[in-house]
Amino acid sequence: MTSLDTATGAAGGVRFLGTRGAYWRLLIRGAVLLMVTLGIYRFWLVTDVRRFLWGNTEVAGETLEYAGTPLELLIGFLTALAILAPVYAGFFIAALDLGTIGQLSGLIAFLGLGVLGQYAAYRARRYRLTRTIFRGLRFHQDGSAWGYALRAILWWGVTALTLGLAYPFQLASLERYKMRHTFYGDLQGRFEASAFGLLWRGFLMWLLVLAPLVLAVTTLVAVVDWKALGDALAAGTDNLGSRIEGGNPQLADVIVFAMLMGGTSVTLAALLYPTFQAVVLRWWLGGLRFGEIGTTSSLRIRQVYGAYMRFLWYGLLFAIVMGVLSIPALMLVGTVSTRLPGSIAAEAVSSGALLVGYVISALGFSTIYRATVLLSLWQLGAESLHLSGLTALERVQASGKPSSAIGEGLADALHVGSF
Amino acid sequence: MANAIYFDGHTSARHDVGVTLAARTLQIVTLDGRLLAEWPYEKIESLDAPDGLLRLGLHGSAVLERLEIVDSTLAAEIDARAGNVDRTGRHRRRQRLRVIGWSFGATVSLVAVAWFGVPEIATRLAPHLPAGVERKLGDAVDVQLRSTLDTKNLGAAFDCGLKDSEKPGRAALDKLIKRLETAAALPVTLRATVIRRGEANAMALPGGQIYVFEGLIDKADNPDEVAGVIAHEIGHVAHRDGTRAVLEAGGLSFLFGMLLGDFVGGGAVVFAAKSVLQSSYTREAEAAADGYGAALMNKAGGNAHALATMLAKIGGATEPGMKILLDHPETKERVRAINAVATAPAGPPLLAAPEWAALKRICAK
Repeated sequence: MTSLDTATGAAGGVRFLGTRGAYWRLLIRGAVLLMVTLGIYRFWLVTDVRRFLWGNTEVAGETLEYAGTPLELLIGFLTALAILAPVYAGFFIAALDLGTIGQLSGLIAFLGLGVLGQYAAYRARRYRLTRTIFRGLRFHQDGSAWGYALRAILWWGVTALTLGLAYPFQLASLERYKMRHTFYGDLQGRFEASAFGLLWRGFLMWLLVLAPLVLAVTTLVAVVDWKALGDALAAGTDNLGSRIEGGNPQLADVIVFAMLMGGTSVTLAALLYPTFQAVVLRWWLGGLRFGEIGTTSSLRIRQVYGAYMRFLWYGLLFAIVMGVLSIPALMLVGTVSTRLPGSIAAEAVSSGALLVGYVISALGFSTIYRATVLLSLWQLGAESLHLSGLTALERVQASGKPSSAIGEGLADALHVGSF
Repeated sequence: MANAIYFDGHTSARHDVGVTLAARTLQIVTLDGRLLAEWPYEKIESLDAPDGLLRLGLHGSAVLERLEIVDSTLAAEIDARAGNVDRTGRHRRRQRLRVIGWSFGATVSLVAVAWFGVPEIATRLAPHLPAGVERKLGDAVDVQLRSTLDTKNLGAAFDCGLKDSEKPGRAALDKLIKRLETAAALPVTLRATVIRRGEANAMALPGGQIYVFEGLIDKADNPDEVAGVIAHEIGHVAHRDGTRAVLEAGGLSFLFGMLLGDFVGGGAVVFAAKSVLQSSYTREAEAAADGYGAALMNKAGGNAHALATMLAKIGGATEPGMKILLDHPETKERVRAINAVATAPAGPPLLAAPEWAALKRICAK
């Protein structure tokens, strides 16, 4: 536990010192406070979470220090609000205009907020890095947030056009950009994992998820007589069913087949998701470099499945508890609405009960997800790391200045936040 | 006597050091007795660290010097001397309580603004919107509404009264609207359309567009019942209720949507809160529109009691989302209030029998 007993360079490992119990306590207290403060407490909760994760992650005998404060986040958020409020008002007014601008305003808003979201994500990363202190030196990040945002949006377009096949290249390219602008003191980072490596490992998964969909679409296109179907639809509502069947006798079968294939694809995607996450995490961790310090990761796929199993288990328990607790709540609503039928009070009580129930379930599941899957991914990822070249740690020089939290604020207001 | 680890903030090198507690300063010395740094107690602060480790730094310093102490006796002695060292976290807890208190206050104030402030602002603002803006608002709502209500009933147009066989019905509707519009003398032009929807319902959009659902025409037994509901909707137009609702919805989604942030999917909470709040706004608006509708029917020479009859028939649901009010005691109260305003009809029904028959067929099957 102490940082005195391990000498620098001797231990090449990363340890996680935190206990699950402490993290659960922190998250549950946070969830309750989020509820009574309509979410304003989130700046304090986020800071607590980061303090816990950073402070309990020990690299070569020294823990990371998170030096950000909730107040910085709050100010960043308010700044973002000041910037975004007129933008939102502008979109609202533009949407009322029925001309070309009005018609396109939805698309412009989508693209504009998409770019802004990526910009915010890059700035937020800078904030987190400059608030991360290790051995008396801070991390920092340079590079252009707009440049990153543009790259990210273009890559997302390419990934969408290639049905996800370009995703490894997108990840690798964006990660290379981020890492070569990341510094620990004067030690520059870089990213060395190969996109082809990830493509190779993920290709089978991609095929398994996509093949049923492609099969369904090609069958639909090949078997259905589209002209006959169009004619049948255009001719009006009378006897529509029989006319459709006349033109396309196999239509019902084809639709059933397409639905089965779609279901197969979704099920496979859900079952394979932990594998995908494990493969990407391991690939990413193994590609991180700072000067001559290198990493490899020995993350196992089944460990990630373990985390998801824990999530499902706790989720089930929580659902049962919620179910039991909802009985007295429903009884109360029932009593009020029979005593005062149709009154505003009865309606308010039932809507209120629904609202509270929704908020508690949403917060509950999000807390369970954080305490099981997210914590496990952090811990497993950290503990799977093997560092090399740690002697470089003896002679890094200080560099970089703290940055503002405006990126975090924008990311929060645009709902693209992360840890 | 090495009892601490020191990082000087210039390089990442780790120094095993000794700590001496002098009268006013904490002295950091190398193992061979050389003084490395001297920190005044009042500038020392404790920093984020795992359990069992006291990590110290200098408050407000650009150089991130760090001193790490594991020895709990030494840690306690430093804590006693340096006021800003919060080893037990007591200070932070007290600060947090203050935050929680104020956040709770902010929540209460936010809900109060949503409940009382937003409707008040919308009510004050709506009458001052120029007719052109209101019209545009209505057109934007219209696009939304059509995309949600139009079931694209395979070939049949959403609007009734377009086909040749439906034209006489359209003419009858126009006549009815003309009569009511003349009596109402509104500054805006009314546009009424019957749409192919089975529900017995009607609605008014900002700017004077009124939609009568096919189901309402089916359910009506005489022209004055349809006219009564349209008069009620004209009441909404005259009171600018649609405009107010749009302003309220905009204000509420702005208030909650932006502040709630992303910790949980805040969108659904916003939606739920909005519908609760808005259903409470509409009650008074409905009563006012009833009063207006009954008075307008009196003025136009129609039978105002017909609005009450129709309302009782459809259970008070004259807006989508108001279905909750089915068999509501409030419906009885509304019927009573309308009947109190209504006078005996001055003349025959607002449409002659052949016209009424044509209106019944405005949505030819």
